[in-house]
Amino acid sequence: MEYKFNFFEKTHKINLEKVDDHYKFIINEKQKYKISDVEVESNLISFKSNNKFYNIYCFSDKDKTYLSINGENYTLELEKDISTKSKSGKQQKGNSVSSPMPGLLVKVPVSVGDEVKSGETLAIVEAMKMQNELPSPRDGIVKKINGKEGEQVDALQVIVELE
Amino acid sequence: MFKKVLIANRGEIAIRVAKACKELEISTVGIYSTIDKKSLHLRFMDEIVWIGDSPAISSYLNIDAIIKAAKQTKCDAIHPGYGFLAENELFAKACEDDGITFVGPNSNTLNLVADKVASRNTVKKVGVPIIPGMHMTSTDISLFKKAAQDVGYPVMIKASMGGGGKGMRVVHNEKDLGKSIAISQREALSSFGDDSIYLEKYIEQPRHIEFQVLRDKYGNCIHLFERECSIQRRHQKIIEETPSPALNDKLRIEMGEVAKKVIEASDYTTAGTVEFLLDKNKKFYFLEVNARIQVEHPITEMVTGIDLVRQQILIAAGEKLTIKQDQIKQNGHAIETRIYAEDPDNNFVPSPGKILYLSEPQGPGIRVDSGIYQDWNVPPHYDPILSKLIIWAENRDLCIKRTKETLKNYVILGIKTNIGYLKRIIKSPSFCRGNYDTHFIDEHEEKLLPKQEKLDFALIAGALNKSLGISIRRKEYGSQYSQKTTPWQEIGKWEVCGQ
Repeated sequence: MEYKFNFFEKTHKINLEKVDDHYKFIINEKQKYKISDVEVESNLISFKSNNKFYNIYCFSDKDKTYLSINGENYTLELEKDISTKSKSGKQQKGNSVSSPMPGLLVKVPVSVGDEVKSGETLAIVEAMKMQNELPSPRDGIVKKINGKEGEQVDALQVIVELE
Repeated sequence: MFKKVLIANRGEIAIRVAKACKELEISTVGIYSTIDKKSLHLRFMDEIVWIGDSPAISSYLNIDAIIKAAKQTKCDAIHPGYGFLAENELFAKACEDDGITFVGPNSNTLNLVADKVASRNTVKKVGVPIIPGMHMTSTDISLFKKAAQDVGYPVMIKASMGGGGKGMRVVHNEKDLGKSIAISQREALSSFGDDSIYLEKYIEQPRHIEFQVLRDKYGNCIHLFERECSIQRRHQKIIEETPSPALNDKLRIEMGEVAKKVIEASDYTTAGTVEFLLDKNKKFYFLEVNARIQVEHPITEMVTGIDLVRQQILIAAGEKLTIKQDQIKQNGHAIETRIYAEDPDNNFVPSPGKILYLSEPQGPGIRVDSGIYQDWNVPPHYDPILSKLIIWAENRDLCIKRTKETLKNYVILGIKTNIGYLKRIIKSPSFCRGNYDTHFIDEHEEKLLPKQEKLDFALIAGALNKSLGISIRRKEYGSQYSQKTTPWQEIGKWEVCGQ
């Protein structure tokens, strides 16, 4: 069986195969693991690898799998169609700024038609009493502004679009 | 003693206060905003009152609505917790005017000490060392420019009513002064409902050391030793410990006595904290009085064995302080790590959202002051604090190890938290040596990045969950003990054997 997970903008390929009482894993066509004593419960996955016992907390939500190992969290995203995803992701990055979190749109210091420089603040969003300045990804001209000052914005909502 | 107390706060501190009230046999009234209807703190209240819409300015900062709720429910006191209106003298005054006891100092004292500028001027008169800077707040940029030139750059802009680093900005040159003033004012207004700011000299490589003080209405005053709070991100504390590795007994006693002097000079009552900066030459400066119960108060409780919230309420009710200074001892070591809904690996961006899975640690020396539960939606409107992990052990070395191991077992899935980040700080050699100042996080940025050593195992777990998770779960639900008999049933009839 093969799975592809996205983690930190990288795609990882996992091959697993059941052999007798254990699993053979190959990660990114390189790293090999022999995994045995597998137990999968609703929020805990445990297994043995190289005589060490691992307990990993887990929650699966649609395409995302949230994991906690020794206090470190990992969010894996099931890769569906790599080619279209990374393309549209890139486009999004270069032509607009969006809020990294749900919050209050405090200020939009630019107007439609303004010429802006890369790094210039296009919007200020406040959440949990912290103000975040959203910088322009590149030089350009403001094409569209979505949302008014004082309004709530959602996570990943595009606030300012560039031409 | 009070019969009923309104707790004008939310989250873990509202729960902490409610527990202290119940132990004193006081009824509790909780308040909530629209989005907090399902918040954990309400489960600890005998009565609850809705006080406004979700934004803090309409709810937890809404003095009229809170006073109205207290009158409606016939409360004889209000406990403000920390943050929100905790140090707001208008709120304390409104309580006094309506015959409700404000659990904190009176409005005159609050006016003096909550106002960082006025309190600097007061303590200076009794010989307490202070950092050079402005003697008054201002909106006039030319006064800031002049003060900055007098004390020399870098300078620090601070919110007069501030706390927790909100509204604070370090400015390195005159060019950045105007912009920083504007940001500070905006943050101060949204956090404290007051945009007064001032400027002082910026002390380099400072350690942040504060002393816990209790003082009753009859002038009895004790300190409960220090808390070291130098591990900060964006001027907000995230790890605190006591005793401080930077103090020796001589300096500890000297600073404790100065702390009491500050409190007496301000005629302060109930529980308060005197903050100092300690520079690299072990010279200390008075910073401010925090006129509230502090987020980090539990570490003092762990080493002194004294319930500070209980003492605070007793004093507010007019009781005499029965604990003497020479009875207070520091027993062992305590560390608090603050668990926040934020992404430390992405500039600490807040991470509100749904907690999909939660498992909180327990065990010897472990205390969790938590305000969350599984399936709860962390709202974006307030401070991102989720809970506090407080660890006690007989010495610092053991306390560090226990904190590290306990953080590994604190599981919050679904939102980003700083748990892994806290663990990386606790493990770092300079923290373990006790050799750090308030710049620790900036200076260790690279070293504190996640190493992702266990990424391969995460990928294995992810794949196992995807391939086996659903089918195994289905099997389990269907067959658990329903077909077979349990060993107890197989034994047959049995009786309890006594004696």
